[in-house]
Amino acid sequence: MVNLVNIAVNWLLLSALYALVAIGFTLIFGVGGVLNLAHGANITIGAYTAYLLTTSLGASVWVGALGALVVPGLFSLALYQGLVSKVEEHPITVMILTLVTALVVEQVFVVGVGTTPRTVSSLLRGSVTIAGTSVRTNRLLVFVLSWVLIGALFAYITRTRQGKAILATSMSEKGAAIVGIDDGRIFTLTWLIAGMLAGIAGLFLASFTSAQPFIGRSPLLLSFSIVVLGGIGSIRGSVIGAYLVGLLDVVTVSMISTRLSGLLPLVVLVVVLIVRPEGLFGRELVE
Amino acid sequence: MAGDTSEGAGHLLSPTALPRRHQAGLLGLLALAVAPLLVSDIDTLKLTSALFLAVYAMSWDAVSGYTGQISFGHALFFAAGGYTTAILNVHYGVSPVVGIPLGVLVAALAGLAIGVPALRVRGPYLSLITLVAPLIVLQLFVYFSGFTGGEIGLLGVEQFTPDPTANYYIAFGVFLFALAVFLAVTRSDAGSVFTAIREDEDAVVAAGLNPAKFKIFAFVLSAAVGGFAGAVFAHTVAAGALTPSQILALTVSIEVIIAPILGGMGTITGAAVGGLFFWLLRDQLRQMETVIPLLDVAVKQVDLLVFLLITLGFLFFLPEGIVPRLLREARRLGSQPSEATTTDGGRSPLEASLDGFRDQFERLRGGDRK
Repeated sequence: MVNLVNIAVNWLLLSALYALVAIGFTLIFGVGGVLNLAHGANITIGAYTAYLLTTSLGASVWVGALGALVVPGLFSLALYQGLVSKVEEHPITVMILTLVTALVVEQVFVVGVGTTPRTVSSLLRGSVTIAGTSVRTNRLLVFVLSWVLIGALFAYITRTRQGKAILATSMSEKGAAIVGIDDGRIFTLTWLIAGMLAGIAGLFLASFTSAQPFIGRSPLLLSFSIVVLGGIGSIRGSVIGAYLVGLLDVVTVSMISTRLSGLLPLVVLVVVLIVRPEGLFGRELVE
Repeated sequence: MAGDTSEGAGHLLSPTALPRRHQAGLLGLLALAVAPLLVSDIDTLKLTSALFLAVYAMSWDAVSGYTGQISFGHALFFAAGGYTTAILNVHYGVSPVVGIPLGVLVAALAGLAIGVPALRVRGPYLSLITLVAPLIVLQLFVYFSGFTGGEIGLLGVEQFTPDPTANYYIAFGVFLFALAVFLAVTRSDAGSVFTAIREDEDAVVAAGLNPAKFKIFAFVLSAAVGGFAGAVFAHTVAAGALTPSQILALTVSIEVIIAPILGGMGTITGAAVGGLFFWLLRDQLRQMETVIPLLDVAVKQVDLLVFLLITLGFLFFLPEGIVPRLLREARRLGSQPSEATTTDGGRSPLEASLDGFRDQFERLRGGDRK
């Protein structure tokens, strides 16, 4: 007997996490026009930063969380400034370079920490009961935090001057340049934000399961599907896309087989690309 | 390299009359032909694998390097060929003689399956489709592991011969065949159209040609030859056990992108050189005992990391590839100014593909950049 409440809770929680990853991916693509295949590396770095800070240095979980936000953010920033911005005019080089970078990051952790999965401590211990199903408090907190971050980003993009500049650049680089927006700064900013969001998602993910060098792969693949489904560059689309893709995945995993995890979203990706390449919400950014 | 078609067939009879770079190419082939006589059995085995990678790299180059339709999942085609014949052989006892042609057929159909969406989906979106297609297949393979062997591999595939030297010459035959087919096609009128599609698809349409036909042809041809190599691979190097990591995994698809780019994209010969170079470099690193200062580990313990970093360096600092760079240096030192003229305004194939991609991105994004 499949526990429907369990599935629903899983779906709500995981999808929020996927949305965090996908938003960063779509932000970089929507604003800079770059497919960042190293986006998954931020997840890995976030997970391991938290692990190393809490385990090796004995810091509190919250310091670990701060590290998982800052370190991947800086990595993402450095990747953009050091490598991607130099070849930005060549999207295919960017794809290959970021893909190789993603593999390099994985290998750094394979060599440095090893492939053994590492436990990352939960942000909160204990569990609560929802509709007869026990849910760990940590997962609930992660759900709330994910939505707080998504909401904060949404407010930042639509309300603040800097956020509006990001929006403007994604709509029209020329127009943005005319009103005095420095697109280089905007691109750097989006990479920083994307890195931070994915990094903290890495910590969240690792606290559910464990940290391992390839932890960033499947969320990145899901992000492709989410972003294509939701429409590239659309934050709202990403959130809705994350919930659709999350539903597909959770249902496949709990009703058919865990070994098919991630398969249906990829099939959806291919179908959407062929049938409706503009996605469900077109290519607009947030509204 | 449109100048290549200008030499008549008669020149082939006297190697001394050939341009220097063709002489170098023939010397290289000669070296490959006699290599097994000079090196140990183990090295022969390694060279055999390197030859297969070179064929895969050429297969990628023929479609992506020439038409600019970048495929991130070429392993799909190799696996289509290899697994078709391997599964038929293991489960139904079909002889490789029948299995290999069927593998080629399935691979060609896979090429068609990817080629048709390529008409509708362009640039980065096409790359995403090609990236994802083999991942879907791989996951299905793992799911139906009873039939496909899963990640452990399909055991008991019939081998043509256990003799390393014989295997090498089989691989060398496939290599020569692929080289000949791809050179013939890319240096023909069809090759010019491929290049034209990469440079400016609208211009091809304006000239009254149908780019769709040529794109599909490129995909099917590339897939069929790649599938042929994969099928032969299953009965030679795979040595009884065909695993996804050999011909289907993401790493394979990435290798066959990196190799031609290292060697020189859109040249076929560059892809062949890149494939050999890539494999041998990787192998060298795997055995290197040299200890890296500061980190205090031997290179062979971190070989993949070192290799990836070297690749990153090559991609960043030598984006045009080894062969075109060598040719340019050679021309600068020597003469042959007539060959320096190109039909594409002097842009390298990589640059042209990149520009095509950029156009696509601009179109996607509303198209007002610059």
